[in-house]
Amino acid sequence: MARYGMLIDTKKCVECFGCRVACQMQNGLPPEEAFIHFYEKETGTFPNVNIQILPVQCQHCENPPCMKNCPTGATYKNKDGIVLVDENKCIGCKYCVVSCPYQARVPNHKTGVVEKCRFCVEEVEKGKAPICVATCVGNARIFGDLDDPNSEISREIIKRKAIPLRADLGTKPKIYYVR
Amino acid sequence: MLTKRLSRRTFLKASAATTALLSVGTFEFKSWQKIHADEKTNLTTIPTFCNACSSKCGLLVHVKNGRVWKVSGQPDHPFGKGKVCARGHALASIPYSSDRLTQPMKKIAEGKFEPITWEQAYKEIGTKLKQIIEKNGPGSFVFINDPRPTGKFYGPRFLNAVGSSNYFGHETVCSNARDTGFNHTIGGIPGGDVANSKYIVFIGRSYGDGVRPASVQALIKAKENGAHVVIVDPRLNNTAPLADEWLPIRPGTDLALVLAMSNVLVTEELYDKEFISNYSVGFEEYKKTIMEYTPEWAEKITGISKETIIRIARDMAKVKPKAMIEQSWRGAFGSTYANSVDTGRAVALFNALLGNIQQKGGYIFGKSPKLGKLDESIHPTPPEATIPRVDAEYPLVSHHTGVAAIIPQKAKEGIVKAALIIQTNPVRNYANPKYMIEGLKSLELMVVIDIQMSETASIADYVLPEPTYLERDDVIEVTPGVKPAISIRQKVIEKVHANTVPADRIFTEIAKEMGLGDYFNFSVDQLNQAMIAPLGITLSELKKKGTIIIDDPVELGVVPKLKTASGKVEFYNESFKKAGFSPVVQWMEPLVKPDSSSFRLITGKQSYHSHTFTANIPYLIQITKDYNSERLWINRTRANQMGLKDGDLVEVVSELTKSKIRIYVTDRIHPECVFVPSGYGNFSKNLTYANGVGFSYLDHLPFHMDPIGGTPMIHECIVKIRKVGV
Ligand code: SF4
Ligand code: SF4
Ligand code: SF4
Repeated sequence: MARYGMLIDTKKCVECFGCRVACQMQNGLPPEEAFIHFYEKETGTFPNVNIQILPVQCQHCENPPCMKNCPTGATYKNKDGIVLVDENKCIGCKYCVVSCPYQARVPNHKTGVVEKCRFCVEEVEKGKAPICVATCVGNARIFGDLDDPNSEISREIIKRKAIPLRADLGTKPKIYYVR
Repeated sequence: MLTKRLSRRTFLKASAATTALLSVGTFEFKSWQKIHADEKTNLTTIPTFCNACSSKCGLLVHVKNGRVWKVSGQPDHPFGKGKVCARGHALASIPYSSDRLTQPMKKIAEGKFEPITWEQAYKEIGTKLKQIIEKNGPGSFVFINDPRPTGKFYGPRFLNAVGSSNYFGHETVCSNARDTGFNHTIGGIPGGDVANSKYIVFIGRSYGDGVRPASVQALIKAKENGAHVVIVDPRLNNTAPLADEWLPIRPGTDLALVLAMSNVLVTEELYDKEFISNYSVGFEEYKKTIMEYTPEWAEKITGISKETIIRIARDMAKVKPKAMIEQSWRGAFGSTYANSVDTGRAVALFNALLGNIQQKGGYIFGKSPKLGKLDESIHPTPPEATIPRVDAEYPLVSHHTGVAAIIPQKAKEGIVKAALIIQTNPVRNYANPKYMIEGLKSLELMVVIDIQMSETASIADYVLPEPTYLERDDVIEVTPGVKPAISIRQKVIEKVHANTVPADRIFTEIAKEMGLGDYFNFSVDQLNQAMIAPLGITLSELKKKGTIIIDDPVELGVVPKLKTASGKVEFYNESFKKAGFSPVVQWMEPLVKPDSSSFRLITGKQSYHSHTFTANIPYLIQITKDYNSERLWINRTRANQMGLKDGDLVEVVSELTKSKIRIYVTDRIHPECVFVPSGYGNFSKNLTYANGVGFSYLDHLPFHMDPIGGTPMIHECIVKIRKVGV
């Protein structure tokens, strides 16, 4: 039993899309389906401009509206708090798509199943990091057990003052961002 | 919430519209459950190295039931450091591309090919090439390589065998100007020890756009150690998250900035006097010239305040030698402006003033291990060809790269008659395509070896298909550095198309047809074995590990004899003088200047494309489509003045042509230029995914060459923008 989460340090992310494509390969996704998407915000006016880059994927909410609204129970949380979809139970109704405030749900046009980031559960069960973490060229991502106060992620969340996205929504997301 | 360039709804709609692509997706599509359920069945991991850009990072390829599943990074590789970028991941799908070339072909009419056998191809090419050389001399034959090791070994050997000196790389449109400036000034291209530096200035180079994983990590490490990072670029590029300040310089004036920063070091006596007196020549002449280039003078030219120029120069001097202007690559002085060679010289000299050569946190000349050779008594080496090169009018440009962009001109003049081109795309990428096509069409023999029907392959007489980088063995790769590395590319999967043949065999068979087979009486394995023998490595060991680091590090703090004519830093340069150029670096205006109704058209990389080669990979071009990133960047104020809104369709108009494109309105760009990313504009109808996406800056670039550095000066281009339908 663990409570897995991720830290994304946006100050180290150069929007290289390495994580997006690595994830597509890992999960056998077609080119037009990606579990990781990016927001880019420009502030200021020339020449005093800055940009902020925000990689977003399923936040593995502790209190996931997608799960609550799933009529068949296809969306579930495993013992380690990873939110997953059972493709045999998913009927493709897309209730989760509209209820996810992070727009993390990706319908698969071929199977009808709605998919999303799975925290690479097969890798994690082997004691490895998710692929997006392993491949990140900027080492912007840290994965680990939020319940273990000595894990790298727990320590770095405190040190870097990382906070979840839209904590106000009450979804209790488990991805922490440094902004 | 932040806004994405495209709203989610539109994104989903766009995805639905492209569902048709699914069935032709390169990877066999399965649901993830199936993917992972299959995992137990015969999974192997084989090391090799990447082919998506010139860094050639070490890869581990995960093969499931004989099919490539995914790649990950080799932890030891000096450029990859265990990481893989988007291009590296996506390129692994290319063996399965529906656009692969599958059999040798011969042109029968304009745009028409017929399949032929390899025997016929070798015979006809060998015979024709022999005839051409007998009639016009070996100097009428040229070879153009992509920068990969098999071509680097076999190309020159084949040229020597037939007696030609005409080896060319793609650097004419990449790093020629910088290389020329650096080679003659400090004797080569050092690596910047960014990780240990305290102050790093990037001029046009962007680690966040031209990604090399180890470089991104080095910069992050420097930042964590408190380094100050400055981006000099007309465009706030994607290294922004890692930078402290952005100097939005007027395009084409980087030389003035560097001269003025040098002026501050010299006039305020902040430079490393001991280094300059021990390791340089001609400093007094340089000093006289540099006095003219005050920060006040540069402010007017560059648009960067004199206070900023003085502050940066002083702050860099304070932490010298752990400070640098990073050596860059193509950036703002690789192949861009009429003054790029001199910007290269000025940058090299500024670093010399900081005394940072071979110092921790500065410029370090890496080592390359001494490789072994084939046994001469069994494998005769052809004599070195000594006849003049066809680009002899560029005496300062290195013969290891050459000026490939002028080959079409030489073909038109009847000097070049035959060309062999490997996996590089001069027509699309070296200069204006109309000019390139017209010139290359006057060749009597044009042979292209490639994996897909590039624009260049489309006009060849013979197109010879290779297996992709995952389906063949190549000559070993040396990665020079503080600790150099040797890597191997090896066959990871069986050939997808049985009738493809790797380049080493093609060279060998053509040579045989020409009666030169004795020079190629070995296999790649034999060659590799001979090359690594002196290092005490066996081929099987290398094939198992993928990359081996040679633990014989560079000694820091010791300035080596530089590879310049004098062996020292050359503030005064005799070779430049002999070639008719100024021996001392001096200000030179860019070639063209926009007025208030026009723009300079500039370009640069995006992290998920390499040249135009990757635009045909569905996983990468989809990023472009999802994020509209083929669009033309235009300054917000200029756009407002012209009544243009973000996303408007405009026409880019130059003397040469018109292109239609949507605009990206932003404050991230200097008002005097517009920016188009460099990976687009493929027009070969056989590149299904890339065709028709975006346009290329080269379409608008008149054919003009920099006489010093042999580059097509890709940013010396003026365009007008007008809204479509007005
Ligand atoms: S981010 Fe969205 S998909 Fe993921 S658990 Fe939360 S609500 Fe569900
Ligand atoms: S954790 Fe795995 S599934 Fe989730 S985004 Fe990262 S790579 Fe994709
Ligand atoms: S791999 Fe890392 S640096 Fe690149 S886009 Fe993803 S999070 Fe950002």
